[in-house]
Amino acid sequence: MIEIIQGSFWCACTLTIYLSSQKLHRTYGRWWSSPMLVTWAGCGILILALHANYREYLLGTNWMIWLLGPATVAFAIPIYRQQALIQKHWLLLCIGVAVGSLLAFATCWGLAAFFHFSPEIRASLLPRSVTTPLAMEASSRIGGVPELTAIFTAITGLFGAAIGESLLCFLPIRSSFARGALFGMGAHGAGVAKAREIGQEEGVVASLIMILAGLLNVLLAGLISSL
Amino acid sequence: MIETVSAATHQSVSIQQRGIQVIALALFCWLAQQFTAKLNWPIPGSLVGLLLLWFLLNRRMLPATWVEHGANDLLQHLMLFFVPAMLALVNRPDLFSMLGVKLLIVVFISTLAVMCGTACVVEIGFRLRND
Repeated sequence: MIEIIQGSFWCACTLTIYLSSQKLHRTYGRWWSSPMLVTWAGCGILILALHANYREYLLGTNWMIWLLGPATVAFAIPIYRQQALIQKHWLLLCIGVAVGSLLAFATCWGLAAFFHFSPEIRASLLPRSVTTPLAMEASSRIGGVPELTAIFTAITGLFGAAIGESLLCFLPIRSSFARGALFGMGAHGAGVAKAREIGQEEGVVASLIMILAGLLNVLLAGLISSL
Repeated sequence: MIETVSAATHQSVSIQQRGIQVIALALFCWLAQQFTAKLNWPIPGSLVGLLLLWFLLNRRMLPATWVEHGANDLLQHLMLFFVPAMLALVNRPDLFSMLGVKLLIVVFISTLAVMCGTACVVEIGFRLRND
């Protein structure tokens, strides 16, 4: 009985904070008002303030984690809708995804070795530049902790979306295609949202790059783990 | 350029219909997960579900309107779904230390490299093809 009450309490808290953070984000529209960051911080502070533990929190909210599966399946819709664009630019998209993933692996691996991180943390860092549901999938396959990957991925998205526009001022980029690739590969979901604000083509390219990068990472992780 | 989310038609679909579409997608995903677990495949079930759904849409065996609105709803609230996983942070006091700072540095540098590198390579590719 107590578990049902605890579960409903945390579920209600999370949804309330999430819905109000959406209103907040519509007013301010900056990286720090992102619903993900506000809900994360809000629930975290509440858990610590009430001396609750993570297990209690999950009682009412693990259905959200489970919905990541159907949400992954839902990516079939944007892929289907953008088929014409994929067929026209498949080579550029593949190059962007390959280069981006390679850079992500190389820099993470190198820096993790430099700082002497444990293998668990290193494996959790590797897939962090792809969209969260797929990053968590990939992480668990190569010996990482999916929850840690979710945290790293979220920070990547927040940071990427926050600095993306300033980066565009420095880089000699003229095509909307490259602008979209920058956001989709560097900052996944949060980047796609930002790219949509800049332009429609940027948004579409960003979401495609994000999905393709996620697919590539999960397939690679599956291959690595089955070796 | 085709719209990713057709906002106008999206509003006209009732909440019940969208709910049924979400449930259908969840069922579809669950079946795919059972399937891959039984066969011991190295790819996750949700990914098999994605590819299968895309194949069905592509072959016109399933009209996109049957799942589109539920799918858009799921993708719109994707941010909410990973908040519980991210809150595992409260279980990891070890990250609130020098280790956490180092991790932040790694994430920042790596993200910068990925963004600059990807954008430059795609830009070069774009110019080469269009010149």
